[in-house]
Amino acid sequence: MILFAALAILAGVLVSLSRQINGRLALSTSAMESSFWNHIVGLGFVTIAALLFGGLFAGEPLAAPWWAWLGGPVGVIFIAAGSWLIPRIGAAQTALLIIAGQMISGVVLDIIMGAPGSPLARAVGVALILAGMYVAQSAKQRS
Amino acid sequence: MSSPSPSTHIYHFAAAFGAGGLLTLMILFNGTLAVYGSLFFASWVPHLTGTVAALMILLFLRPKRAMPTRPPLWTYLGGVSGGVTVMLTSATMNTALALSGTIALGLAGQVLFSLFADMRGLFGLPQRMPSRRDYLSLALILVGSLILIFFGGSA
Repeated sequence: MILFAALAILAGVLVSLSRQINGRLALSTSAMESSFWNHIVGLGFVTIAALLFGGLFAGEPLAAPWWAWLGGPVGVIFIAAGSWLIPRIGAAQTALLIIAGQMISGVVLDIIMGAPGSPLARAVGVALILAGMYVAQSAKQRS
Repeated sequence: MSSPSPSTHIYHFAAAFGAGGLLTLMILFNGTLAVYGSLFFASWVPHLTGTVAALMILLFLRPKRAMPTRPPLWTYLGGVSGGVTVMLTSATMNTALALSGTIALGLAGQVLFSLFADMRGLFGLPQRMPSRRDYLSLALILVGSLILIFFGGSA
């Protein structure tokens, strides 16, 4: 259990590490070029891992709905945005604001798709996140 | 880095917040792909189509290089770190941690390491010390996120 908890924390550390490395590459090149390298190097890595472990084409991937195939281009913009932001507003601020956007859009998506969840918890959670964004924003304007 | 500390503008906030929205879409798309195919497939396809999409955008926009000199080789390895993340997440998701625990601990790791990197100015990025207000905003956003993850049905 402690091992898995450590692995879950490590996964978060690696998200941040990846964004910082990409951000450093974008400082020398451009945000979009950094996103390109992130994807092609990641493609090589996943290909090698899939060849080692096997099972890449297991299941019925062709039965997936058409929109499930659109994650790649969305990810290109996402990685480019992170690479552009991190040298400008810092790693912590970038991470927190992306988390804020992810959480609030997740609530909107859950409501649209009719996913179960406490409306009170959703309201409190969204309110706290919006308050946190307001505090961060007002802090920057004063300095 | 000797560059002056850049100030945060409202469009930085908008870009980061919008990127979070894109992340939700990305997780929905890739997660749906993983329902039909393997976890490797759900990571392999977006990397492949993303590579093609990024190449097309680069050829179309031809963005200028910020510096004439080549950056160090390690700066090209961000994608490896991202690839390992996919494997770690799929390994922990099906344990007692479940998806909510995996996400919550991942957020903690991400924020703590980001703070540490900012304070030290790791990886050639500008060094910055968080203010008391930054910590307050961090606490509000994290507590709100944890409430959503564990009670809001958002995972």
